[in-house]
Amino acid sequence: MTVQGLTLIRNGVRLLDDISTTIRSGRITVLLGHNGAGKTLFLSCLHGLIGYEAGRIEGPPRASQKMVFQKPIILRRSARHHLEFICPDIDRKLLEELMGRAGLAERIDAPARALSGGEQQKLALIGAIAAKPDILFLDEPTSHLDFEATEFIEAMITEAHANGTSIMLTTHNRAQAERLGEDVLLLDRGELIEVAPADQFFHSPKHPIARQYLAHL
Amino acid sequence: MEIWTPFQNALSLMIALEGELIAIIGLSLMVSLTAVATSMVIGLPMGALLAAYQFPGRTAVIVVTNTFLGMPPVVIGLVIYLLISRAGPFGWMGILYTPAAMMLAQTILVLPISIALSRQAFEALNGEYAPLFRSLGLGRIAWIKALVVEARVALLTIALACFGRAISEVGAVMIVGGNIRHSTRVMTTSIALATSMGDLAFAMALGMVLLLVALLVNIASQFLRHNFRKHGHDV
Repeated sequence: MTVQGLTLIRNGVRLLDDISTTIRSGRITVLLGHNGAGKTLFLSCLHGLIGYEAGRIEGPPRASQKMVFQKPIILRRSARHHLEFICPDIDRKLLEELMGRAGLAERIDAPARALSGGEQQKLALIGAIAAKPDILFLDEPTSHLDFEATEFIEAMITEAHANGTSIMLTTHNRAQAERLGEDVLLLDRGELIEVAPADQFFHSPKHPIARQYLAHL
Repeated sequence: MEIWTPFQNALSLMIALEGELIAIIGLSLMVSLTAVATSMVIGLPMGALLAAYQFPGRTAVIVVTNTFLGMPPVVIGLVIYLLISRAGPFGWMGILYTPAAMMLAQTILVLPISIALSRQAFEALNGEYAPLFRSLGLGRIAWIKALVVEARVALLTIALACFGRAISEVGAVMIVGGNIRHSTRVMTTSIALATSMGDLAFAMALGMVLLLVALLVNIASQFLRHNFRKHGHDV
């Protein structure tokens, strides 16, 4: 996925400022930055959810992309029907298997919105991964989740990646970024500060803002 | 006459299930339920469209719809009368003083309710689901269909509001139906007529039936709502 000169302006404020980069296929790219840096907006632009004032984004068609939102968007249906809506071609057996792995086998016919926050996040991720997208955008997929849910979600991400899905996720968790990330992008106030392989970024960041950011992460 | 006499007579009439009473109740329900169903079929997609999409004239449609919310039934009856009377542009249809005219009048009466209330319900849900639906690449029809499904519990309440307005109005059906015995006489027009003729027992019986119908409809909707909740549709 290539991004050239991406600029997003709202109410006269440049929320994303002339961002150009290439997101490598088949990699797990971690998008870092403080709150308000523009991470969610950047993902939303990449996924085609919002328009932008200038720039160009080239990548796989949206039909082959999926996005899991920071606050999962859950339909007013049972968990099973929610998944069938998100992923209409899903195989019934696969659906039940994935729900079983998520520890939700017994809640498959429960109201999806009655599930806990962690369970809803698992449900959203299952729906996205079951569709076998080319690229998967994850906006802070484990924020506010406990260890068990985080572990499951990271395992699912790793598995999807192993099956060929490119992943782009945002997180505020350094350990998670180091565990999962292969490439890192750092945003600061809408500007792309640094793009580097994860090892390099975490051990010898080049930009002063990146060093400062890591010192507080 | 004792104050309770009309109540006692009404109860006797209801228990006896007097033939004319049943015919009047049946026609009332048929006219109002048809009007509600038609207004929902037309109004819900319009409400969803107004909530989910920006298009030229959208604000004008909203203003007109909201204006019609407060339109007195007699005015609607009068306008429909002028349109479908022999000299009117739709006089050729020959529906004046028929149940069809009454259904048409009640549909026009409750359509603004179904549009305005469903727009509100859809606006809230659209704000919540737009990122997901856009992410899934839903087309316009699929988007609206999904919104309607998600709003089903709210829509039930809207249908109830429409039914309440339709079954209780008297002015429009009186004008376009003519309150003809065995033909276009419904509960509200019968109550008006029976009261004016001093047949308070019959008027009271119909009044009680109106209340009973409202009660039954509410019980049915509560049952549906409970069922929705049980299956995760209203959390």
